[in-house]
Amino acid sequence: MTLIVLLFLTLVLAPIAAAVHAMLGRDTGWVAAGALTLLGVTTLPWIAPVVAGGTKSEHLPWIPTADVGLSLRLDGLGMVFLLLVLFIGALVMAYSARYFGPEKRTGDYYVWMLLFVFAMSGMVLADDLILLFVFWEFTTLCSFFLINRSGDKAAAPAQRTLLLTMAGGLGLLTAVLMIMVRTGTTSLHEALGHEVWQTDGGFTAVIAVLIIFAAFTKSAQFPFHLWLPDAMVAPAPVSAYLHAAAMVKAGIYLLLRFAPAFEDTAVWHLLLIAGGLTTALMGALFALQRHDIKEIMAYSTVSQLGFLVAVIGVGTPTALAAATIHVIGHALFKSSLFMMVGIIEHESGSRDIRVLRGLSRTMRVSLVITLLGSLSMAGVPPLLGFVSKENLLAGFLSAQSPVLAWTLAALAVVAAVGTFAYCGRIVLGSFTDYTGAGRRDERPEPMPADQAHEASATFWMPAMLPAAAGLVLGFVPGVFDGLVTATVSASSTTEYDAHFALWHGLTADLALSAVIVVLGTAAVLGRARVDDVVPRTILPFTGVGVVEGMRSGAIDFGRRVGDLTRTDTHGLHLGLPGAMLAVLCVAGLVAAPHVGELDPGNTRGTDWVLNGIMFLFLLGAVLTLSRTAAVVLAGGAGFMVGAWYFLLGAVDVGMTQLLVEMLTVVVLVLVLRKLPRRFHRVSKTRTVVSATVAIGFGVMAFLATFALMGRRGQSDAAQWYLEQTYDTVGAENIVNSILVDFRALDTFGELTVLGVAGFAILALLNSAFSTSDNQPVFSKLWEGTPIADPRENTVAMRMVFNWVAPFIVLLSLVLLVRGHYESGGGFISALVAGGFFALRYLVADSDASVKLRFDYALVIVGGIMTGAITGLVGYLDGSFLRPIMVDIPLPWGGEYAFTTALVFDVGIYLAVIGAVLVALDRLGQAQRYPAELLKAHRRRHSDVPEGITAAVPSGQRRDPGDVPIGIDSAIWGLTEPPGRPGSSKRDEEVDR
Amino acid sequence: MIDTLAEVLPPLMPMLAGVPLLTGALAAAFRKRRTLRHVISLATLTGILVFSVLMVVVTAQGTVLAHQVGLWNYGIAIPFVVDAIAALVLMIISILGITSVMFAMGTHEARARFYHPFVLILFAGVSGALMTGDIFNLFVFIEVMLLPSYGLLAMMGAKLGANGARIYVTVNLLASTMLLAGIALVYGTAGSVNLAELHGAAAEDPAVAIGGGVMLVALSIKAAVVPVHGWLTRTYPMTSPAVTALFSGIHTKVSIYAIYRIYSVLFDGDPTFLWVALVVTSLTMAIGVFGAMGEKTTRSILVFHMISQIGYILIGAGLFTVFGLTAAIFYLLHHMIVKASLFLSTGAIEETYGTGEISKLGGMLRREPLVAVTFMVAALSLAGLPPFSGFVAKFTIIQATLQESHYWVAIVAVVVSVFTLLSMLKIWTGVFMGPEPKNLEADALESQARMHGKRYLRVEAQAETPTLSIGPPTATTTAVWEGRQAVKVPIKLIIPGAILAAITVFFGLGAELLMMLSETAAEQLMDPSDYVEAVSGA
Amino acid sequence: MSIAVAVGLLTAASVYLFMQRGMVRIVLGFVLVSHAANLIIFAAGNPAFREIPYVGVAAPDDQADPLPQAFVLTAIVIAFSITMFMVTLAITTTTDDDTETEEESPVKVLTSSMPTVAAPRSTNGDADAPEPRTSQLPAQHSRAEERRDGEGGRP
Repeated sequence: MTLIVLLFLTLVLAPIAAAVHAMLGRDTGWVAAGALTLLGVTTLPWIAPVVAGGTKSEHLPWIPTADVGLSLRLDGLGMVFLLLVLFIGALVMAYSARYFGPEKRTGDYYVWMLLFVFAMSGMVLADDLILLFVFWEFTTLCSFFLINRSGDKAAAPAQRTLLLTMAGGLGLLTAVLMIMVRTGTTSLHEALGHEVWQTDGGFTAVIAVLIIFAAFTKSAQFPFHLWLPDAMVAPAPVSAYLHAAAMVKAGIYLLLRFAPAFEDTAVWHLLLIAGGLTTALMGALFALQRHDIKEIMAYSTVSQLGFLVAVIGVGTPTALAAATIHVIGHALFKSSLFMMVGIIEHESGSRDIRVLRGLSRTMRVSLVITLLGSLSMAGVPPLLGFVSKENLLAGFLSAQSPVLAWTLAALAVVAAVGTFAYCGRIVLGSFTDYTGAGRRDERPEPMPADQAHEASATFWMPAMLPAAAGLVLGFVPGVFDGLVTATVSASSTTEYDAHFALWHGLTADLALSAVIVVLGTAAVLGRARVDDVVPRTILPFTGVGVVEGMRSGAIDFGRRVGDLTRTDTHGLHLGLPGAMLAVLCVAGLVAAPHVGELDPGNTRGTDWVLNGIMFLFLLGAVLTLSRTAAVVLAGGAGFMVGAWYFLLGAVDVGMTQLLVEMLTVVVLVLVLRKLPRRFHRVSKTRTVVSATVAIGFGVMAFLATFALMGRRGQSDAAQWYLEQTYDTVGAENIVNSILVDFRALDTFGELTVLGVAGFAILALLNSAFSTSDNQPVFSKLWEGTPIADPRENTVAMRMVFNWVAPFIVLLSLVLLVRGHYESGGGFISALVAGGFFALRYLVADSDASVKLRFDYALVIVGGIMTGAITGLVGYLDGSFLRPIMVDIPLPWGGEYAFTTALVFDVGIYLAVIGAVLVALDRLGQAQRYPAELLKAHRRRHSDVPEGITAAVPSGQRRDPGDVPIGIDSAIWGLTEPPGRPGSSKRDEEVDR
Repeated sequence: MIDTLAEVLPPLMPMLAGVPLLTGALAAAFRKRRTLRHVISLATLTGILVFSVLMVVVTAQGTVLAHQVGLWNYGIAIPFVVDAIAALVLMIISILGITSVMFAMGTHEARARFYHPFVLILFAGVSGALMTGDIFNLFVFIEVMLLPSYGLLAMMGAKLGANGARIYVTVNLLASTMLLAGIALVYGTAGSVNLAELHGAAAEDPAVAIGGGVMLVALSIKAAVVPVHGWLTRTYPMTSPAVTALFSGIHTKVSIYAIYRIYSVLFDGDPTFLWVALVVTSLTMAIGVFGAMGEKTTRSILVFHMISQIGYILIGAGLFTVFGLTAAIFYLLHHMIVKASLFLSTGAIEETYGTGEISKLGGMLRREPLVAVTFMVAALSLAGLPPFSGFVAKFTIIQATLQESHYWVAIVAVVVSVFTLLSMLKIWTGVFMGPEPKNLEADALESQARMHGKRYLRVEAQAETPTLSIGPPTATTTAVWEGRQAVKVPIKLIIPGAILAAITVFFGLGAELLMMLSETAAEQLMDPSDYVEAVSGA
Repeated sequence: MSIAVAVGLLTAASVYLFMQRGMVRIVLGFVLVSHAANLIIFAAGNPAFREIPYVGVAAPDDQADPLPQAFVLTAIVIAFSITMFMVTLAITTTTDDDTETEEESPVKVLTSSMPTVAAPRSTNGDADAPEPRTSQLPAQHSRAEERRDGEGGRP
């Protein structure tokens, strides 16, 4: 059975458990326990080869291009943790079969727990750096979901846990990536064997700090320890497994795995020893402060992990061996103690030592198990805990310099005494009427003596096994020698064979253990005074408060960042791009590119006349506050630009510009009708600011155009067009032939843009509604005269129009047909026709008489489809929009060179006219609101069912565009629903 | 088979721009027949998807498809060029398009007469902009893309004072005008608008570089990088979820593609000003994610997120190494899918429960388990957690920055991903966990009635003479309306988001396929010589 | 040189109009900036050559460059179509075409240190659009309360 199959089996267990849970409910625990034990047993035969120094490794490619693959490797270190994960997992699964009530929904609990087993076993076996990170993050994810599923109050702790461990994970990601970049390999053991660790001190230090940061967040070391007590909101099995035996050990595994790389890195040893010991001491102190036994247990885990981190920090082989044996010992007694906490809470209903009373009489078996576990944690012989504690002390003593060794040992002893004290607090607090409350604590009312009752055998058996194992193994610790030797050889460069025994002569660490036991018992006996001495608040702030503060601080800062652009003023959004342009302009000036000489004839006398007049128009348009004056002056400036085009030899463009300017003014006038007469007043400072910004932009534009343009003579594309156009397409008007032959795709896009603008105006005006039609304010002077009457004041124009109309239409058709040879073409002819419709509209005596009855959107549809079909016809000659030329013999001799480009021009003609019609018809008309549309529709079709009510939800304000459509079941022809409020009454309340 | 395709496809490429215009106009003609418009629209979009998948298959080997539209000679005609990145982006955008249109059909928005024409013309513009090899034609196709989106945004936008729509129009018009000025400067100094002819022009002559710079500034406004990101945050939340999901995958992404194309061909990747790109992208990443944390509604959080993710994508442009570009292209494709999936899943809740405000929602995990799963998959992928595509994207990007030893950018990228997770959690705990607000159902029904009233206005009223057959409110059934059933997100609104979430999982596990394609695309961008040959040779 | 002056003037005028209140002034600004962009395109086509680019009208080497003329023709029509749409946007409001409320004006935005500026408006699309600025409607008993009081036993 290979590693990959093992990993796959752990993954497959999760869905199987979900299926089994549907049938067995909480008893799935037994099935899962059985499966995990089976897996554990199958891995046992691998111990022999591993102990003998061999390693198993396999590889399965996942993303070869980024050379990431599923490569697994089993060595001593991996073996120890794999066994821990599988066997402790089996025990916890068995325990949870009885922990949860029969009716509780635990399907997702089993799925996430088994996924966690998959994640942990994956992590300890991973030999690919990326894979290590992937599984590391997966454990964080499983812990988040397991905490998150226990009720609403668990959301905040779960979020804090995820944030802290995720931040650590990202530290690991950075370290992993830097290692991959530096060593060039993604394989873990090759990277660790790389010589960079010895040669580049700076790089190693950075990686060391990142690894330590990741390990400290995962193994809840100070100052990241707060998430562990916070996560106690999760059920007991989760705490027993994740937050005691397996997940928090991931950080220890990472430290052991990377230890060989940092053997001679000072910052590694310093940080680990300092961090570890402070956490150990601080954990013990906090434990002595708490009253909830689960919280005491959590802080005790933090403290024990502190021991482990410190001893790894020492780094000598004896220390690493001590760390390994303590990992095993701690997993055994801590998982059993957490399970006992679950049992006590389950059976007695409380976890507070001040409330728990008289359990020693009613829960005798629990007392024995808890005592066993606590003694092992306290390090009392003959339990395994004593052996591991003694080795820890030996590890500390084995530090290089004797002074460092003895100070470490002294601190360790103090912490160990603290451990001994809170073990007493747990046992006596839970089982006797010792309340552990100092003078200043309030004392809740203790529970009645006989309320608790002993748990069933199947409930405490999974907790009994590890405690008993701790006792039995205490006598024969040698059984671990082989495994620990393999682990030490995996996590350090020097050879060392571990040898454990309950008694191996009078040694310094034995003496220290004796001191610990003596002082410990003294602390337990004098526990009342200890409770008074221990200060209640050590730090001014709580860890949780800090994380919450950071979180809400980040959200506040985020709101401020969002506020920077939380405004609808155009000035801000249009000004910012200017800033980027200014930066580019400065960069351009700095770069000061070498530009050629201005070609002669670039500037001519007449230009300045045009510039002068345009300047006057622009000045007027900018300064005036009356809307009509601004529109007229801007129109004037447009005409001057048209004159510029004629000057520059662009006849077609000049004509188009003039026509477009006319139609723009017409459309603007149609709109001005609905708006107030004058612009909004603006404050003085704003005028000055916008004036300076405007002048700045103007100077930038001038510089760009002047500096970069007109210095390279004619481009070769221009020369090609001037010489070749007639021979290739037989057209004289080169500009028009570019538009409809060479670059027909541009024109096709452009006519679509125009058509879609028409559609957009239709869609917008149909779905929104426009301002009420301002009645134009006529001065009293004209009252009663023909000027005031809409029908009268257009008589003269109507007379002229009736005569001129046919000629305009004729002109537009002639312009359309002669596009290829003379100035004209699709756009100019269509704009002339647009002018015709504008004139027709302006002279009309009433809206009704000029309203177009047909759906003019179809004109736009016709235009776009003509263009598309001409394009597809082009495929006859090989490509999209390729003109097909045919010579049609004319009756009077000669022939007319017909080309599909003309059909394309017709397409442009229709699209442009369609868009202009939409603008004239919909903008010109008084906006008809949907309500009126409905009323008119109902008048025409009297057969309409009366079900239309005006029940616009009253809560919502009335606005003219709102549709008086209540959701009335009568329309759907359904029976009257019972108790359906409101919509049944037919109050016909139609707006204006 | 591949080389026959390489012969057949190029001449048909302009059809990708031409046919959607034809069917779009056709759809606008059928005012009464809704189902016909739905069929035309979905048929065209699937056609584009199939065509783009074929192009991806052909360009996967590194061949570049080129065609001179109208068969005029090189330098005169407008060349249509498709290499790996263009084909990939078009494929992902068409997947996105189909799912957003399905969502819009679910919320009955697609019944509006002009919805499908706008979407089809938008897709014509997108395929044109992605394929064209001529910078003026790029301007025209960007306009062809913008006009229908003005229509969509304003049509579906807030009824009163469509202020959001105004800002969208004015800022985009300013950006287009700046793009036009940039094109004019490039033509004025280099004498051609054909990208293949302009190969390396900006690298040699600083004058052309200034013109190219103005073009890049204009495109970065459209891509909403930091100093000019404000307009995106004001406009996207204004319109309906279906339209936001559609826009999220299209506008900013096409401009990012254009930035890559111009920088690769015009500037030939010269490294002098790359540090500017890195500074801008780091700012974009940071400000985007901080802004996301401060927002109150789901859509604004996701929009700010999008800005931050755009920062990640543009790191590729800042690095301009093969591995950097591979990671960036992978990130671009992954982000389009994930962001649309997030918009659609939160959009489904917003359509049914009437509001996107986090404070007014809660307890959705129990009410809508399906939506919750879809959201969770996409959110974890966005935050970069394994085994989703987001993880692969994020770690390759950070690895690429470390390879170029830009440590500061890598640190910002790592820190930002923590805050990304924090803001995703803000939505998760605010909307999905936590207690259910007490009048959730009553408010949901009432807001649906109001929204239906407005949507009737958009949908039926556009038919000039309003048809009076209005079905039940958008996202409910009559049973729910009569109170017999609890308010529930209809399945037709969940499916689009679920499809996209499934794709991100597929990209995550099968990341190798996409990574290989991105690598070919990156190599083609790094040295555009075969791009230039294909155009000059065709 | 002269065409550069024209471009400068037009750009200055248009940017000034951008920064003002009211959609119509902004639309006029955009009309002018599109003129400026068209003139820049003409400048790109080298204003030294000014003969009409028709076949046979003048000697090819001092005829104007036809390519930018085609570009400008396209750009003019595109600008015209967007102007029409923007003008429509100017009138789709309940009030006049004002583009900012009093407290949102850019000066206030830029001057106030941390502008918590915008009126609390929900930005989630058309669910409940903001109150119109000018007409103050009487607070009405919302239908939700009405429904909640009205009916009891929804299952």
